[in-house]
Amino acid sequence: MVVKSKSDEELIELIVQNHRPALEELYDRYVKLIYSFSLKMTKGDTEKTKEIVQLVFLRLWTTKRTYSSEKGKFVNWLLSITRNIAIDHIRKEQKHQGTVQLEINEWQQMQDQQTDDVLQQVSKNLLKQQLQEAKRHLSEPQQRLIDLLYWGGYSLSEIAELEQKPLGTIKSRLHQTLKKLRNYFNEETGGVRHGK
Amino acid sequence: MENKCENLSLYIIDELPEHEKEPFERHLKTCIHCQSEIDSLQATWQMLSYDVEETDVPESLKAEVMDFIFIENETPLQAQEVSNNKQSFLERLKLILTIQFSPLSIGVTAVLVIGLIGLLWINLHLRDTITALENKAGSPTKIVKSFNLKGQDLAGLANGNAYLLKEGSDTSLVVKLNNMPKTNADEVYQVWLLKNGNRQNAGTLKPDQNGNGLITYRLPKDHSFDEIGITLEPNPDNTQPQGQKVMGTS
Repeated sequence: MVVKSKSDEELIELIVQNHRPALEELYDRYVKLIYSFSLKMTKGDTEKTKEIVQLVFLRLWTTKRTYSSEKGKFVNWLLSITRNIAIDHIRKEQKHQGTVQLEINEWQQMQDQQTDDVLQQVSKNLLKQQLQEAKRHLSEPQQRLIDLLYWGGYSLSEIAELEQKPLGTIKSRLHQTLKKLRNYFNEETGGVRHGK
Repeated sequence: MENKCENLSLYIIDELPEHEKEPFERHLKTCIHCQSEIDSLQATWQMLSYDVEETDVPESLKAEVMDFIFIENETPLQAQEVSNNKQSFLERLKLILTIQFSPLSIGVTAVLVIGLIGLLWINLHLRDTITALENKAGSPTKIVKSFNLKGQDLAGLANGNAYLLKEGSDTSLVVKLNNMPKTNADEVYQVWLLKNGNRQNAGTLKPDQNGNGLITYRLPKDHSFDEIGITLEPNPDNTQPQGQKVMGTS
C-alpha cells in the first residue's frame, strides 16, 4: 500500500485499522509543525516537547474515532489535540510545583523573544507576519491574554486571578480580542483562511 | 439570549464547563448572531497557531516516538492480557471443554454420569437392606419379659398377656387381651406404660366381636417401664388418661 499518495483523512482511517506505515506517514507530514508548536508551549523545553510529541502520536494511534473533514481542516484538528495534550502536561507540572505563579516578567521576556522571532520569520511566513501585524493592534492586556491563554495554557479564571480582574471582564476581553484580531486579519488577507 | 451569546468565545476556546456546552449548542441552533460569528472567530482562534517559529526536529525523535507507541505501550497491554488469562482460568477450562465436547456428547456424558450415580445409590441402598436382613436373620426375636394383665371393675372378666420382645436392637411390646367388654362409638382401650408415676401412651385398640384385641408397640430406644395400665378412653389420641383404668399388670 502506498501511503504517500493517501489523504490525511485516509491515513487516519488506516490508523484505525492498525496500519503502522500510515502513522509513520502522518509523522513525516506533521512532526515539524507539532514539534515547533509544542516547543513554544513548553517555552523551549526539548524534553517536555518530546514527551508531548510522543503523546500526540500515541493519541493518533489509539484513536477509535475516524477524523471527519466536517470538523474542519485536519491540521487544525491535529493542533487542537497537540494543544490540549500540552496544556495537560503544563498543568500537571504546575500542580507539582504547588502554586500558579504570575509570570508577567516571564511573559515580557516571551514577548521580546517573539518580537525577535517575528523579525526572523517575516520573509519566511507571510501568514505569520500578518498574524503578528494583527496582534500589534491589540492592547497590551489583550496581547497578554492571548499569550497566557493560547500558549501558556492558563484557564480564564486563572488569568482573572493573575490580572486581578473579575472573570466577566476577562471573558469580554477575550471576545473583544478575538473580534479585533479577526477584523485586522480580514483587512490584511481579505478573509480568515487557514492554509499552508 | 444576551447571556448565552457571551458564551460564544468560551465555547470556541473550549473553556465552557461541560454542563453549559449542551445548552449553548441548543442556543447556537437558533441564534443568527452567534451563527454568523462562530466560523470566523473560530478560524481566528485557530490562526493563532501560526505564531510559531518552525524548528528542526531531531532525527532521533521518530524512533523514540515509534518505540514509545509500539514497545512501551504494548507492554502494559500484554501484562493486562496475562492477568486476564489468570482471572479467566475457569472460563478457559469451559472453553476447552466446549471445544472438546459437542453438545451431544455433553448430553450423553451427563446421562451416563447421572446413571452411574443412580446405580451407586441403589447399590448402597441394597447393601443396607441386605445388612438389615442379615441382622434380622442373625438375631432371632427373643422374649425379654412377660406380663400378666388382669381386668378390674367393668372389665373384671378380662385377662391378657404382654410380652417385651427384643429383635436385634429393636424392642417392642406385644399386648394380647381376651374377654374385653365391647366399646361404644368412639371409645377405645388405651395402653399406658408407667414409670415413676409417668405415663407414656403405647397405642389404642378396639377388641373384636369376641372381645379379643392385639396391639404391638415399638419402644423408643432405651425406653423402659415398670408397669402396664389399660384405660377405657372416651375418644382416641389422648396423651394423658381421661377414662377409668380397666386392666393392669398384677
